[in-house]
Amino acid sequence: MDELMEILNELRPDVDFENETALITDGILDSFDIVALVGELNDAFDIEIKPNNLVPDNFNSAKAMMALIEKLQDE
Amino acid sequence: MDTSVLNWLDRTAEQYSEKTVFNDCSRSVSFAEFNRITKSVGTYLASFVTPNSPVVVMSGRHIMTPACFLGIVRAGCFYAPMDATMPKARLNQIIGVIKADYMIVDKEHLEIAKGLDFDGKIIIFEDIVDTPIDEKLLDKAVSGLNELSPLYVIFTSGSTGVPKGVITSHHSLMCYIEAVGSVLKIDSSDVFGNQSPLDYIAAVRDIYLPIKTGASTVIIPKNEFAMPTQLFDTLNKYKVTTLCWSVAGVELPAKLGAFDELKPEYLKKLCFSGSVMPCKYLKIWQQHLPGVMYVNQYGPTEATASCTYYVVDKTVDDDTVLPIGVPYNNYTITLLNEDNTPTEYGKTGEICVSGPILALGYYGNPEKTEESFVQNPLNKNYRELIYKTGDLGSYNSDGLLEFHGRKDRQIKHMGHRIELSEIESTAKQIDGVTDCCSLYNKAKEHLYLFYTGTATSKDITIYFRSVLPGFMVPRKLVQLDALPTLPNGKIDMQTLKSYFK
Repeated sequence: MDELMEILNELRPDVDFENETALITDGILDSFDIVALVGELNDAFDIEIKPNNLVPDNFNSAKAMMALIEKLQDE
Repeated sequence: MDTSVLNWLDRTAEQYSEKTVFNDCSRSVSFAEFNRITKSVGTYLASFVTPNSPVVVMSGRHIMTPACFLGIVRAGCFYAPMDATMPKARLNQIIGVIKADYMIVDKEHLEIAKGLDFDGKIIIFEDIVDTPIDEKLLDKAVSGLNELSPLYVIFTSGSTGVPKGVITSHHSLMCYIEAVGSVLKIDSSDVFGNQSPLDYIAAVRDIYLPIKTGASTVIIPKNEFAMPTQLFDTLNKYKVTTLCWSVAGVELPAKLGAFDELKPEYLKKLCFSGSVMPCKYLKIWQQHLPGVMYVNQYGPTEATASCTYYVVDKTVDDDTVLPIGVPYNNYTITLLNEDNTPTEYGKTGEICVSGPILALGYYGNPEKTEESFVQNPLNKNYRELIYKTGDLGSYNSDGLLEFHGRKDRQIKHMGHRIELSEIESTAKQIDGVTDCCSLYNKAKEHLYLFYTGTATSKDITIYFRSVLPGFMVPRKLVQLDALPTLPNGKIDMQTLKSYFK
């Protein structure tokens, strides 16, 4: 989780990733943030985020992203 | 002869009355109802506004925003749209340039509007949308309108740190829409999928091609662009045939692998502009959708959206560089050398544009207008203004124009035009930033700020996010003890570029 928070805080230091739960639904992260983020997460966690993983539920909060990362690592 | 976009709307509202003109995925509006709303808004405004004056609009990504624009036009005025998601400081700068007496907002953005340094009257759109129509008043309101009257003022990055308001006339807009509509063969059966923010120049196609031809536009919710399979689902659900997107928008689904899941089944035409298309992404589109017509467009806001186009006539490779093609109807391109002599055929010169599509200038800024829109130095016989784009180009052996980048420090990033000096002048406002230089790593699409001083990268990003649009905020911040300099004392940008990671 620390590694994820570090990536997120570097990407958008202005966003409160500890508490936000509607990052996508409220448009806090935009499409360009997602492109940058997907690349970084794939590299950092040795996973491959697929297009069908790109749904708001998986990216609305840091917690949801961590759950997706763990799920993909198990596969 | 049509003198304003209202002539178009009057015709399509009659001919396609019950057909949908705009749909934002939660509501839709027919041509007749859309026209009715523009007349209600126009009637409300016409009773007190000064004709031919600006009205600011701050309204969301929904079907009522274009109705608000055209309502202002019905009152004999022109609109200056602002994106409410931009930082307050940026919105205040725009307000300071346009100095309007009235602003129309939707309810959703009322609180933001109240928090701005706006001295005029704020009008809530929802309160005026059912104003009883007064046809006589509307006729009177537009009696002074001619085809050179301003239609809108759209703001773009300015090198001094204050955005510039480009004023476009009805005539210029109509010339462009006619030209692009005929290249893309748009008719009433077409459905556009709008990507551009509605306040941005690229949205004029999605707004005015339907009003001209009877086609429809689906305003796609912004967050779907982060979720590409959802985006393609939406394109299929509404049977979207035509996309006029920024290059950055076209890249997204290809970058995120959306075609592995599904594809836009109904798409026939894809036209893109805003920056140079990396063909490795266009190739992915072509592989999955070989029957689609792909059109590369080029042009600055000052010459009404796009000057030239190129219909891609072959399958591209990763390293293909697309030409920017040939001028649209009513656009004349001249290449000039630094000394204002004509550029020899095949050689590189500055791309200069002339024709009825030239903007009326920068709002409230005659000095900048005179500097940018100048007499064609090759014409000694009569008045002919040209706009010097600052872009470099040359003709290839097929007679097609090719693009070779900028003369100055303006860049294109995520489909937006940015003056690097504007980023620097903003950074210098921060306590703890002594000196700085902003550069663009085009290969990786990273915007850099190299700086000296005690500020942390977090301080800088938070400040930037409070004053500049997101696309202008550098993602890479590099703190240095000193900026490298050349013998003449200027910053050594080549050395700084070697620090790109």
